[in-house]
Amino acid sequence: MNILAIETATPASSVAIGTDDTLLAMSLQVNRRGHVGFLTPALDYCFTQAGWTPRELDAVVVDVGPGLFTGIRAGLATAQGVAAAAGVPLVGLSSLDALAFRAATGRRIIWPVVDVRRNEVATAPYKPVPGGVVRDGPPEVVSCEAFAGLLDSTADDTLVVGDHQSLPAGTLRGLHRVKVGRPRWPSADVLLELAFARMSKGELPAPDDVRPLYLREPDVTINWQDFREEAAWPPQP
Amino acid sequence: MSDGPVVLGIETSCDETGLGVVAGTELRANVLASQVDLHARFGGVVPEVAARAHVESVRHLAHRALAEAGVHQADLGGVAATQGPGLVGALVVGFTFAKSLAWALGKPFIGVNHMEGHLFAPLLGDPEFAPPAVVLLVSGGHSQVVHMRDWGDYEILGSTIDDAAGEALDKTARFLGLGYPGGPAIDRLASEGDPGAVDFPRALADRPYDFSFSGLKTSLMTFVRTNHEAGTLPPLADVAASLQEAIVDVLVAKTFNAVEATGVEIVGGGGGVMANSRLRRRLQEEANRRGVRLFVPPQELCTDNGAMIAVVGSHKLARGEITNLNADVDAGLKL
Ligand SMILES: [Zn+2]
Repeated sequence: MNILAIETATPASSVAIGTDDTLLAMSLQVNRRGHVGFLTPALDYCFTQAGWTPRELDAVVVDVGPGLFTGIRAGLATAQGVAAAAGVPLVGLSSLDALAFRAATGRRIIWPVVDVRRNEVATAPYKPVPGGVVRDGPPEVVSCEAFAGLLDSTADDTLVVGDHQSLPAGTLRGLHRVKVGRPRWPSADVLLELAFARMSKGELPAPDDVRPLYLREPDVTINWQDFREEAAWPPQP
Repeated sequence: MSDGPVVLGIETSCDETGLGVVAGTELRANVLASQVDLHARFGGVVPEVAARAHVESVRHLAHRALAEAGVHQADLGGVAATQGPGLVGALVVGFTFAKSLAWALGKPFIGVNHMEGHLFAPLLGDPEFAPPAVVLLVSGGHSQVVHMRDWGDYEILGSTIDDAAGEALDKTARFLGLGYPGGPAIDRLASEGDPGAVDFPRALADRPYDFSFSGLKTSLMTFVRTNHEAGTLPPLADVAASLQEAIVDVLVAKTFNAVEATGVEIVGGGGGVMANSRLRRRLQEEANRRGVRLFVPPQELCTDNGAMIAVVGSHKLARGEITNLNADVDAGLKL
């Protein structure tokens, strides 16, 4: 089975292709604003390295978030374009799943964090199990302070992975059961591994069910004062 | 040009997800997912809401456009998408979708300037439209008089120094309680009113090609409040018709100032405000009077759409002007 994986939910963009659990080519770049210029040349590079054409694809997998909204959409739209051209299914995976899966070692509960700006992170707890991890709670967006509170209130030894460097200095200070670890970013090679596992179980979503996981309503700022004043005349029917 | 390359065009610069297919200048399909209802409750376009809607509909609409055009994706000559100007988050969706689709099909990709799309849109109504021409571009985001010396060779003669024409219509419509978007609402109401009832100001008479519309809202508010209190307010249709006339007067005058100065015999128009029936009629009357030809796209191709992006794409492709796959969007792209 030949799979293309696209990862753009964080400042680290990556594209990877692989077949039957073997990574064949990968391209990576860390640049918060560089997703759009990176993606298609990276696709081209990977396919050239592997000697593939898009016709050989069996599926495209993409990170649907949580993470940077514009990055996620750039990755998803790119994945949609390739999947449409190649006529293959699209699989959406979570950035938190990818981080926790790569971190899976030992017995600690894993809390991956993804920076979603405004002093907030997206996170969820994962339990290590033989061969991987299982999510042990819903993904959510919390303030950095609330995240520290979550860790403080759990009785387990925990491992924080992901972009913990984005947490304000001192956030994890004094939390003695907490260790920090790698990876910092989710990456396309991990998506490949997760996708092989999922597809071997025959789990394929409809293309329209693959949509971004924002975990936050859009920011709508309206000057209601201004709005009301302007609309004050004539009285609305 | 009607047997030029078959191109899929994708427009996601603002609040319309537009996909179109052309063969040269021949329109094969034009499909749209308008977000007007989505943004209406906010009284304007919310960038994050727009970007979210684009990524939900672009794939669908690409299929639909190709199906309506009767074109198999393998038979496309290329794929074009708006590169800018526009909202970054919105642009990114169409641009990245188009690039990867083109790449995976092994076809060329063409990044298109949204404003150039509007400049080319008259071709979709009549393939005889050609430079040298003067084109009036008016929408919620822009008001410009462009001297189109040749394909790809443009000089912006004049533009608005404050609000765009469509913005003025939206703001005044909101004040009059007509809702969003304001242009169509004012057009409808004005058709029953007397355009000479109120003498609203025509700004910037001393500058031949530039516009200013921000003062209109203030005059309208003052006029309505004063006359409402005095009980001398004319019917709302008269107010709307007079306001529209003030905008149209200025747009027509500046356009034909440019026609006179450049000596062109072709006049074009584009942008959402060009769907205004009064503006179309007045431009046509003035063109007839001066013996020049007016080309405006059909109303549904005045507003943002994918077909106009496809036309530019096809034209550029025929000339070998294709875009590198490492290109990024440019929110402030100039003509
Ligand atoms: Zn436009």
